[in-house]
Amino acid sequence: MFRQEFIERNAFLLLVLTLVTIAIGGIIEVVPLFTIETTVEHVKGIRPYTPLEQRGRDIYVREGCYVCHSQQVRALRDEVERYGHFSLAAESMYDHPFQWGSKRIGPDLARVGGKYSSDWHYAHLINPQSVVPESLMPAYAFLAETPLASDDIVARLRTLRAVGVPYTDAEIGSAAADLATQANPNADNADLLKRYPKAVTVPGNGRVVTEMDALVAYLQVLGTMVNFADPANERLQQ
Amino acid sequence: MDIDPSDLIVGLMMTVFGLVGLILASGAMDNEMYVFGLSLFGFACVFDFGLLRRHFDRMEARRHG
Amino acid sequence: MADAAIMPRPAPDYNEAVVRKFVIATVFWAVVAFLVGVWLATELAWPQANLGLSFINFGRLRPVHTSAAIFAFGGSALFATSFYVVQRTCRARLFGGEALADFVFWGYQFFILMAALSYVMGFSQSQEYAEPQWHLDLWLTVVWVAYAVIFIGTLMKREEPHIYVANWFYLAFILTIAVLHIGNNLALPISMFSAQAYQVTSGVQNAMIQWWYGHNAVGFFLTAGFLGMMYYFIPKAANRPVYSYRLSVVHFWSLIFMYIWAGPHHLHWTALPDWTQTLGMAFSVMLWMPSWGGMINGLMTLSGAWDKLRTDPSLRFSVTAVGFYGMSTFEGPVMSVRDVNALSHYTDWTIGHVHSGALGWVAFISFGAVYYLVPVLWKRPGLYSMRLVSWHYWIATLGIVFYITSMWVAGIMQGLMWRAYDQFGFLQYSFAESVIALHPYYVIRMFGGLLFLIGALLMVYNLIQTVRGKTSTSEQTIVMPAAVAVAGE
Repeated sequence: MFRQEFIERNAFLLLVLTLVTIAIGGIIEVVPLFTIETTVEHVKGIRPYTPLEQRGRDIYVREGCYVCHSQQVRALRDEVERYGHFSLAAESMYDHPFQWGSKRIGPDLARVGGKYSSDWHYAHLINPQSVVPESLMPAYAFLAETPLASDDIVARLRTLRAVGVPYTDAEIGSAAADLATQANPNADNADLLKRYPKAVTVPGNGRVVTEMDALVAYLQVLGTMVNFADPANERLQQ
Repeated sequence: MDIDPSDLIVGLMMTVFGLVGLILASGAMDNEMYVFGLSLFGFACVFDFGLLRRHFDRMEARRHG
Repeated sequence: MADAAIMPRPAPDYNEAVVRKFVIATVFWAVVAFLVGVWLATELAWPQANLGLSFINFGRLRPVHTSAAIFAFGGSALFATSFYVVQRTCRARLFGGEALADFVFWGYQFFILMAALSYVMGFSQSQEYAEPQWHLDLWLTVVWVAYAVIFIGTLMKREEPHIYVANWFYLAFILTIAVLHIGNNLALPISMFSAQAYQVTSGVQNAMIQWWYGHNAVGFFLTAGFLGMMYYFIPKAANRPVYSYRLSVVHFWSLIFMYIWAGPHHLHWTALPDWTQTLGMAFSVMLWMPSWGGMINGLMTLSGAWDKLRTDPSLRFSVTAVGFYGMSTFEGPVMSVRDVNALSHYTDWTIGHVHSGALGWVAFISFGAVYYLVPVLWKRPGLYSMRLVSWHYWIATLGIVFYITSMWVAGIMQGLMWRAYDQFGFLQYSFAESVIALHPYYVIRMFGGLLFLIGALLMVYNLIQTVRGKTSTSEQTIVMPAAVAVAGE
């Protein structure tokens, strides 16, 4: 049955044997990543994105930011020195889809959170060359002029929960309120921080939440969730 | 009138797709779904029209040929 | 390949209309893909070229280029040639009737247009080479199933008992792409009426699945499918049999088995577990062998007919393509080695590698096939001008050389600058300094791409004139020089 002269006289056999042949590598490389428990490290601090951060992430994804910016610090000495601790699998466990990227036309963003002020981010996104003259980045001023469509925020969080992000009912229930709070520096964000530690409030324009607000909120949380100074996180292994 | 089975199956399939497009466009939550739904409907109309046109052109050619 | 001892049977009425349509689409999308590529290169050399417009900025335009090059141009070439080759080598008209074939053609063009439109409107799902959202993925699935039905149905109704080697490769390409497409695009929409969906997997598992898909988009769409093309058009144009049947058997099965494992070499030093990275690297290095098996088979088919490279410029394209294939399938395994990858990943060396394969192998073998097919499909004695083919060849080759050498230099320089330490033990260069250093190479790369585009425009002119039945007045046509002189030109 396995002689080629026989196989190539039988289209169905050729089809079946081809399918079997190409299935093997995928199964062996993919399935154990779900079954081997240490693939995603057990580390404290990882939490789902706030509604505003998630919307910002959705904008990051739809604009193709990953085409120029990676989000994965490799376990290499110079990289760790430039960007911070190498990325853990756990840090992107709620990233649907992952955005590790494959090209650095701009710098890696895995730990950009907290490195620049929100005002810097606004200035940079509106006109990158105004803060980095040699930058090749296009201008994203249109994000600051586009109100954030937020009537589907509950549907988005519910769908994320269905694919494995552990949003609680309380979090989904207060999604719209949390979104508004995080873009309003004058609002009381105690409840927001209780649900989502380390959420950064962005300045906003005081009138309406824009797509820019969401994107900056997302950028400001990147890489900040895990406290690498905590000795419990020192010996993480896969 | 004998219809080529391929024309019939593909034509019916496209009709269903056209209706799906119209339904998607009717409830579209964003521009993309709206544009896609209407385009799918338009594509189905033009494609089915093409199938009909070719069918009847052939019948006429057979009658006159 | 014709055996003179067999009495010629009347050829079936092949469906050539759908092949003609796909050939036209191939040439059209080639120009679109190259033009968008040149614009992207311009945006990287001079960011003012983004014009402050959201719908043509680099982030939104890049998938337009990659989809146009791989799926629109490459895909149309694969559809055109697979439909042509499967009919001729099976001596059977395409299964499924004219309507199904037209559905595959128009349905695929519709997919391409909708995908490109969705990217510029800001609806990419940002998975590399799988950017279309869920609704477009479903549409493509329908079209692909129809394609598989036609191709497999034609194989099953064949008059020739043996399935020719080109068809093994086309079949593997069709089946594997179906599996990969479905596996990598599993996503849950937030509503049936919304384009927004979220991938079912996340993080490291999503990364592995993405590169299981992404590397095999290269391995099966851009390699296995085009090897099928090579296995028909090189022997046909050279009028020689394929060099070795046994080699084709061995390299076919080993290629399709090994390619699937190579995905992790896109994820070296990341949070993907070490064992997976090592498997990916090992298989990527081993993959060099079946790949070169294909190269040897293609090149050695010219044995006894090497002078045709001098006289037949379109065959020159196909054979050069195989040479570039060999080069890329050596460079790839080298870059898959973890310590090489530590330097190359995220740099322009990857871009250089991609384009030596895309321009040198994929585009060139497609040009060779198109130059062969157009006179045959439009029943002309030959191409309008062989000299234009030659000009195309040399301009395009020069373009490729500028492209890949500028990217090699840029990539290695970038990688070295990022890891450079000064005498005090601090990182020597800021990221911005590495960006400034790239500028001249980005300009050269743009120029290389521009040459490649100009070559393609020469091809468009040549093919239009061929279809219109013209013959170049400055050249002697091979067939009827006397008739040309008599026609008073």
